[in-house]
Amino acid sequence: MKFNLTVNGRTAVVEAEPLEPLSTVLRDRLGLRGLKEGCCEGECGACTVLLDGAPVHACLTPGFQAEGRDITTIEGLGDGPGLLSGIQRAFVEVGAVQCGYCTPGMVMAAEGLLRANPDPDDAEIRHALAGNICRCTGYDSIVRAIATEAASRNRVSA
Amino acid sequence: MNMLTVARPRSLDAISALMSDGRPLHFIAGGTDMLIAGRLRPKDGILVDLGQVAELSGISVVGQHIRIGAATTVARLAEDPVLAARLPALSQAAAECGAVQIRNRATIGGNIAEAAPAADLLPPLWVADARLEIRDHDGSRLVAIADYIASPGRLITAILLPDPDPAPKSGFAKLGSRRELTISKLNLAMLMRQEGGRIVDLRIVAGAIGPRPQRLKLAEAALGGRFLSPKALQLFAKALSDEVDTAIPTRSSRVWKRRAIVGLGYDVIAAMTGHSPRHPLFAGAA
Repeated sequence: MKFNLTVNGRTAVVEAEPLEPLSTVLRDRLGLRGLKEGCCEGECGACTVLLDGAPVHACLTPGFQAEGRDITTIEGLGDGPGLLSGIQRAFVEVGAVQCGYCTPGMVMAAEGLLRANPDPDDAEIRHALAGNICRCTGYDSIVRAIATEAASRNRVSA
Repeated sequence: MNMLTVARPRSLDAISALMSDGRPLHFIAGGTDMLIAGRLRPKDGILVDLGQVAELSGISVVGQHIRIGAATTVARLAEDPVLAARLPALSQAAAECGAVQIRNRATIGGNIAEAAPAADLLPPLWVADARLEIRDHDGSRLVAIADYIASPGRLITAILLPDPDPAPKSGFAKLGSRRELTISKLNLAMLMRQEGGRIVDLRIVAGAIGPRPQRLKLAEAALGGRFLSPKALQLFAKALSDEVDTAIPTRSSRVWKRRAIVGLGYDVIAAMTGHSPRHPLFAGAA
């Protein structure tokens, strides 16, 4: 079937199978390889993207259902070509990245959280990341990166 | 050649029209169960997307009922102020269901129709005596949730909750292998009304101790008509354990579930009544 997808502000025509997951559509048909497919059953969160600003599993969302919605992937976060966004810089600066496989999903879950709750405490950050698994960092640095970015956004807007 | 085609109806009438088409229908709302890797996916017939039908989404108060569109997301349930005031058990279950990515997609109708033994939204809906608005090629009708059986081509369009005034107390608790994003190994919902401190109406339903939710009438009888006291709660605790022994007599999990259910029961009562679970009332816990 054919449908339109608006990804990171650009619209593309896609031809895909009816139940083809959005993760496959984005990676294999649109070449957006930032998001990862990990478990493909909603446990690991590596495929997290924002749908109208809210985090979802791209692996469990049929591509066609994203038609008419705003899809944001990790590629769409940067402050310009080749530039990182604040949350990405925070992950780098705090050292919240080791092997990196979970990172795009973690960053998108974090971005979704900060859009919904600009001033989360540690418990709220951990709750928002419950759907994202990391086997390297032990999570503490990830929580710190998100808290750092939240504080910096609040400083800017204050 | 048979193949799967997609329909994106915009109204319930359009869905009814598809129901008389004769081809097998596969309804999809959030897709969080259908797209899981390794599951069999429909290969032919019509994949009916429920995401474009406004009547299927949202929570409203209609006369003496709360009406929840079947394609309302779990996230929406968890944040709805009306539900939080009238049926906190459902809000709490929704807030503990899956992870944020799943709650943003999964729907209440999907949770009911998939009918997993551990489904978290079912015990709260059972204690609230929810009725389901069902539509198939014969038309539309209401079915008590305890009588509902999923079948192909039949669609849940809404969930109706009685909305008595004053709202009863209710609560939910679950146990899984970890705290978040966890399939319940045991879950429990209670709904309770007190008059002058005496419990006059009590319904208790547990999940994951059988193929479908179980109403725990022994435990209801142990507390019903009484005031909350350490003695009454000890009888209640014993009844809860007895319920597990009866429900899963041959399961190895019986050994821990008969104790764990007491903890869940006490936690729910503590939350409903505003007590700490460490209050002396609960000192007799097993």
